[in-house]
Amino acid sequence: MVQTAAWVTSLVFMSLVFIVFGVVAWKSRVKSDYEHIKKKWYKARIFYATTLVTILLVVCIYTLRELPYDLPIYGEAQDPTIVDVEAVQFGWLMSETEFKVGEPVEFHVTSKDVNHGFGIYDEDLTIIAQTQAMPEYTNNVYITFTKPGTYKILCLEYCGTAHHYMVTEITVTE
Amino acid sequence: MGAFVGMNNLKSTNKTVATSLTIGGVIIAVMMIFGILMLLAQGGVIDVPDAMFYQFLTIHGTGMIGAAALAAAGVMWYFLNQYVELSRSIFNWFLGLVIIGVILVVIGVFSFEFAGAWTFLYPLPTISASAWGTIGALLYLFGMLILGTGFLLLYMDTGRAIIKKYGSLGKGLGWDVISGKKKEEDAPPKAVVASTMVTIVNTTAILAGAAVLIMNIINVINPSFTFDPMLAKNLTYAFGHIFANAIIYMAVIVVYELLPKYTNRKWVVNRVFLIAWTMSTAFTLVIYTHHMLMDFAMPKWMLIMGQALSYANGLPVLVVTAYGALMIVHKSGIKWDMGSGLAFLSMFGWTVGVVPAIVDATIVVNHVMHNTKWVPGHFHMYMGLGAVVMLFSFMYYLAKVDSTVKESKIDRIALWCYALAMISISVQFLVSGALSTPRRWAIHYPGWMTPAVFGAIAGVFLVIATTIFIIHFVRYMKNRGKLGSDKYEQKTA
Repeated sequence: MVQTAAWVTSLVFMSLVFIVFGVVAWKSRVKSDYEHIKKKWYKARIFYATTLVTILLVVCIYTLRELPYDLPIYGEAQDPTIVDVEAVQFGWLMSETEFKVGEPVEFHVTSKDVNHGFGIYDEDLTIIAQTQAMPEYTNNVYITFTKPGTYKILCLEYCGTAHHYMVTEITVTE
Repeated sequence: MGAFVGMNNLKSTNKTVATSLTIGGVIIAVMMIFGILMLLAQGGVIDVPDAMFYQFLTIHGTGMIGAAALAAAGVMWYFLNQYVELSRSIFNWFLGLVIIGVILVVIGVFSFEFAGAWTFLYPLPTISASAWGTIGALLYLFGMLILGTGFLLLYMDTGRAIIKKYGSLGKGLGWDVISGKKKEEDAPPKAVVASTMVTIVNTTAILAGAAVLIMNIINVINPSFTFDPMLAKNLTYAFGHIFANAIIYMAVIVVYELLPKYTNRKWVVNRVFLIAWTMSTAFTLVIYTHHMLMDFAMPKWMLIMGQALSYANGLPVLVVTAYGALMIVHKSGIKWDMGSGLAFLSMFGWTVGVVPAIVDATIVVNHVMHNTKWVPGHFHMYMGLGAVVMLFSFMYYLAKVDSTVKESKIDRIALWCYALAMISISVQFLVSGALSTPRRWAIHYPGWMTPAVFGAIAGVFLVIATTIFIIHFVRYMKNRGKLGSDKYEQKTA
């Protein structure tokens, strides 16, 4: 799950930052020659900077391989189900709300009035995909449900004082 | 280059700056209370009407950024004024316009129920589903415009003064040193480099903000005047992202100035330092698109650049500023007090906040994290544990060098209390984000409530600690000018 990966990665690197600052604070009362420290740690910075740039570059390129914007490659005779979604204060107008597991679905999302957010939540209330619902623009969400169940659509962009009531359900069956 | 100028009117200068810090500090504390109320409502502990919740949301976001920017501008002005000649009268105009702007915003939100959030995403100010009317929207939008005008005036003055002394804004960033035309020893001071960066980015931000505010104002008055909502969103986030980011670039000057004094070590301006600040200038201007990664209709290359450059934007702080701060403190024999302790804590806050920010700027992560509470998680670290702590550090520093007010054990307890509370608040937001909890929701489903309650409890301790910081500063305000100098060296000599 992406959320778990994001949380664990963040926790590891945040802990690393905490340890480094903690060690420096701990040793701060000791007094040592600054010239010596500069010489040693400027040299270390080259290694640190190179490592950091390499990690960031690799992670950046790796995570850019598959983007939610890209139209999936459909197999032969595998036409996606197109669902027109229109957001309106404070509800969702959808051309279809029942789907099958394994059926490729394209949500074509727009808005009638203000900016909204189209967030798809699974039965455990974990978000699995989203896009912005904007007036005058259409954003496409490509998804193939892998589990049956009742999914929720939540508004994820603040759209007015009944924003949190802007919820609907879709059903996915075997 | 280190010569101080404009020292004649130190006492009144300190008063002007301290006023911006006091107003900023008090507003921040009040905004924290709104934050606690929202968390309690989300946690199901108290019942807050929907409209009121979103008014709190609007004032909390606007007030926090506005107040922190006001106080950070005071910090920047204080140090920059030691190297270039700034106009105190313009700073007073700036203060006056900001106060007028704040009053209009408060009236718009609480008297006329405007609840369009700080993002006021077009066309929400006009299409409110009858939650607020034209007057409320106009008061808020005009308030923001006046507030922005105050800041623009200030940056026009800082830009003027830097150009007058150094020749151009490029030279203020040390481009002649980077290109080798000038020696590193002749590089501009850190306060000048940072102020130049902020002058450039915030002037741009305010112009973008003014454009979208004016377009919204016209749309509110005459709804038949419409404009492209995607353009509006770009302008809004260009304004909001840059303006919020610039707070830390103004406030960090206190870290640059304090740590060398406390450690008696030089924090030299070299080419690497200057290149890092030029990188920050460029990246801060363009990476706002990471707020729009879920706007699939945006040009794809802009969104990919949004991720790549957000990653790169972490480098100047991780490799230069934070690393420099760690080096200067490491085995320095530093004597910790509130000023130095808060400065060091703020660098930790800034650095640690970079991690979840970079994670969220990753498009595939953003696909399931955008507009969840992960986002406030990272910016509460960056703002609450970074930028705002820098402001408190400056408050204690100024009190130390310009008065006889002593720090007490209570202040030191408050520092630890603040740090632990702010870490707790940030982490509960991150946990909520990982649990897919949407942000800006007046209610939470049962599975999302616990972290919110935890955050509210931590928030109470945060307010207590902040109040102690502010009381110390108010005591300073009453005993100000007792030493007659703000030069730390003179006091410790």
